[in-house]
Amino acid sequence: MDTRAWIGRFAAVIDERGAELTELDRLAGDGDYGTNLRSALGRVRANLSAENPSTPGAVFTAVSNAFLNTGGTSGPLFGMWFREFAKGLGDEVTTRSLATAATEAEGTVRRLGGAEVGHKTMVDAMVPAARALSDAAERGAPVETALKEAAAAADTGARSTEALLAKRGRASYVGEHARGVVDPGALTVAWFFAAAVS
Amino acid sequence: MAVRQLVNDPDDFVREALEGLQRAHPDLVRCHDDPAYVVRARQADKVALVSGGGSGHEPLHTGFVGTGMLDAAVPGAVFASPTAFQIRAAIGAADRGRGVLLIVKNYTGDVLNFRIAAELAADDGIDVRTVLVDDDLATDGQEDGAPGRRGTAAVVAVEKICGAAAENGASLDEVAALGDRIVSSARTMALALAACTQPGQDRPSFDLPDGEIEFGVGIHGEHGVGRRPFAPARELVAELAKPLVAALGLGRGDQVITIVNGLGATHGLELSVVHRELAGFLDGLGVRLSRSLVGAYVTALDMRGCSITLLRADDELTALWDAPVRTPALTW
Repeated sequence: MDTRAWIGRFAAVIDERGAELTELDRLAGDGDYGTNLRSALGRVRANLSAENPSTPGAVFTAVSNAFLNTGGTSGPLFGMWFREFAKGLGDEVTTRSLATAATEAEGTVRRLGGAEVGHKTMVDAMVPAARALSDAAERGAPVETALKEAAAAADTGARSTEALLAKRGRASYVGEHARGVVDPGALTVAWFFAAAVS
Repeated sequence: MAVRQLVNDPDDFVREALEGLQRAHPDLVRCHDDPAYVVRARQADKVALVSGGGSGHEPLHTGFVGTGMLDAAVPGAVFASPTAFQIRAAIGAADRGRGVLLIVKNYTGDVLNFRIAAELAADDGIDVRTVLVDDDLATDGQEDGAPGRRGTAAVVAVEKICGAAAENGASLDEVAALGDRIVSSARTMALALAACTQPGQDRPSFDLPDGEIEFGVGIHGEHGVGRRPFAPARELVAELAKPLVAALGLGRGDQVITIVNGLGATHGLELSVVHRELAGFLDGLGVRLSRSLVGAYVTALDMRGCSITLLRADDELTALWDAPVRTPALTW
């Protein structure tokens, strides 16, 4: 599993479709989400080319550091999410190490941000993706299959936020205005897993 | 056309201000550029105190770095939390192996970024504790799940008193417990006569009709919790002070430390009048004024208005308040 190529594809998707995220945030928040994300991924690229990491753990450390250097609320939460991938993946990506990392990662984000599934946040995609990876690890599925299932689960989770009323995050301030709008954080998580297998 | 302010490029505002601070007080502070934080010029072997938050509240927090108060301060952009990495770097720079107390005002972004920084610092092997300051009575009594009372001018008392205790050699646990005690004994209320203007903006953050003031404002240029008719200082001060006295359960024989704080564009004469009225109000209740701080310490850019903080005091808190302090903004 070439994690650096995975991150590269993720960054390319955000470059291409960042404006869609900003539009979602404009409808349900304050409209700067896509811009912040693109600036975080600019730092990701800079870190990766400066450090030239050779292990999956080091790749995700560079990604985590870039997000933790980004302001706002989603920046540090994604930073801590990626940090668990850095810790969990270490030298080798296996279905088991992915499952452990994604489970620790969603737990960290829930603990720090206080959001649970159904609150219309990034957690709505992170939790089902981690569950899909854990199920795949139980079956002994290969990494490719596990990541495909995680991407599908994250996508379903992200879409489920469309019908929700926000309980946490920026969209919680605008109440009914955000119903009918997919949470941009959850969509970002879905795109991240999709980039692993595309 | 932007409102006239002494600014070059709004994007360079905070960085240039830090350079100015260091040039003014080279004996007291060192400003680190990237990531941005301010540390004491001469560090001491003791529990370290680190605070921070959005800029625009000067002299909070950078003006309170020095002997007897903060060891480091972390400024974010105007009214925006510093990043977790900035805070982690400041913690690392301040730590002398005795542990670090983080003093955090209760705002979602600050709480999140300081909490993350505390976890990162703990992974670096640093002993970190946090005091959450939530003194703003205007935001009390919200429903479950709401962010709770905001943190405002009581943070000055926490920094001063905990700073004195740390200087005296108190342990991290002791300094943290003291901070929690100050927070639970302090409440603040503020009013605005006019809103503030963000650097580079062409109009203030809200409009006030003639003859009205904004009651229960915070320190980010946001609306308060209600409008009141404009009135003489005596009446306005009583309106601010009454709910504080009630919330702290103050009565005859109690003693308080007061902070009469200007929000950025309020004249010292006005603040002294506010303090006169507050002192008279407390006299009338038989509440003893132990110590007073009057001036602009926790500002909201150029907001016109003031806040009043009451801190239930005792001999221990008063003695720590009196302990020597030498920082750019507070010295005695």
